[in-house]
Amino acid sequence: MTGYLSEIYDGIKSLCAGLGVTLKHCFRKPITLQYPEEKPALPLRARGRLVMPVDPATGANRCTACLLCAKACPNGSLEITKAVGEDGKPKPRAAKYLYRSGNCMYCNLCVEACPFAAIIMSDEYETGTRDRESLDADLAAENHELKGSKLSWWLSKFKGEEPS
Amino acid sequence: MTLPLKELLYAPAAPLAAFAAKAHALWAARGLPSSVLDLLFQLAIAAAVSGFITVNALFIIWFDRKIAALMQLRKGPNRVGPFGLLQTLADTLKLLSKEDLNPRGIDPLAFWLAPLLVFIPAFAVFLVIPFGDGLIAGDLNIGILYILAISGLSVIGILSAGWGSNNKYSLIGGLRSAAQMVSYEVPMMLAILPVVMLTGSMRMGAIVDAQAGYGWFAFMQPVAFVIFLIAGNAEVNRAPFDLPEAESELVAGFNTEYSAMKFSLFFLAEYTNLFLTSAIAVSLFLGGWEGPFLPPVVWFLLKTYFVITLLCWARWTFPRIRVDQLMQFSWKYLLPIALANLLLSAAAMKLL
Repeated sequence: MTGYLSEIYDGIKSLCAGLGVTLKHCFRKPITLQYPEEKPALPLRARGRLVMPVDPATGANRCTACLLCAKACPNGSLEITKAVGEDGKPKPRAAKYLYRSGNCMYCNLCVEACPFAAIIMSDEYETGTRDRESLDADLAAENHELKGSKLSWWLSKFKGEEPS
Repeated sequence: MTLPLKELLYAPAAPLAAFAAKAHALWAARGLPSSVLDLLFQLAIAAAVSGFITVNALFIIWFDRKIAALMQLRKGPNRVGPFGLLQTLADTLKLLSKEDLNPRGIDPLAFWLAPLLVFIPAFAVFLVIPFGDGLIAGDLNIGILYILAISGLSVIGILSAGWGSNNKYSLIGGLRSAAQMVSYEVPMMLAILPVVMLTGSMRMGAIVDAQAGYGWFAFMQPVAFVIFLIAGNAEVNRAPFDLPEAESELVAGFNTEYSAMKFSLFFLAEYTNLFLTSAIAVSLFLGGWEGPFLPPVVWFLLKTYFVITLLCWARWTFPRIRVDQLMQFSWKYLLPIALANLLLSAAAMKLL
């Protein structure tokens, strides 16, 4: 009999505890983000689409077309054509930096591999398109400009010698 | 002629009776039988009730979803219309435009009749709900008995939905529902009995009148009130007692095979039953339409929505219980407590 009564008491107590938890939640703000209208503030190291930023000091990108990024890429998403000067000799510059974002798995290995910090993962994540071709982009021709904290973070990453 | 608005809001019995008498006199002056006019009046009341059921169910569904969102730190429906109020309307239109599927191997009669058998009891119980002073479609002298008898009928509809669908999940859902309804009707009746004993009448109007002056039976009979809420929640098949349509085990239980119009009837009946359980709880335990300043109808709806909030709170807090726990809870806990409460209150009434 006492076991039965204590069971009832425990049951009522635990039910009330449960009701209390949901009651407490009623007074908290919703964590919903109304996505297309509101957008989240992404963390600094968020990995979005790959970009090749323009260095504000020189007004050009830092790529030397060394192909280390293309070798580091596990998916072969990068295809780089070296620039050729008027004398027919290759120059340390990318004429074309083809980035196939449809292939990319956002692993950041190309960024790690680059000795000049010429490329970085931006915080662009709305990259859906209607056709396959528009997934490919020539990053060297894009002249992407970084802004805000991402820019200062990117500038602080590269402390070595400037590419010649 | 000016409408007696204040009177219509606060004490509609007299103006309504005057209106009926006037209409009868006019009708008789043209030499027509008064039974036809009575029939017309009854049809008008039925139309008003069905209109109320539809609009109210649309609102309750929105209300339930908003409370769920509040407790789960979400925002809930907020796209269609102001505050998402028209979301349910949009959902209903979508449902009605869907194909009415009839699976192979169904029992056509049971399958087609089931939604109606579930919905008609919910509709019929509105006869004895006192919305305000004199605003009651038919104040039967066996009001409580009528409610219990009619709302018990909906189990047949759910059972026939389960049987007629030719689907194992539907059948299990229907059988669970039958077991649940039968088990929880007993503590529900035992929770109502003290109220009937205190009032000395089964008439809904008399029960509300007996609580005049804030002598609400919820204060005198708190245990019966809580038992009524729990058993009522089980009667309308809502969480934590939603075993008949347990999504995680039975697909959707007895309404697995239903689509379009038939499914929307089930849905409508479920939320109407929720409103009815709350309305009966308000009439029996919370003083019905009694309250200061505001019109009785407003007080009645406010209190009913308060009880609906309580039931929604329970729904979005507790996980679904197992079948054996369901039976145990009813027969081992609710029933003895309700019986003890009944005996104690009977003894107290005899002694005091």
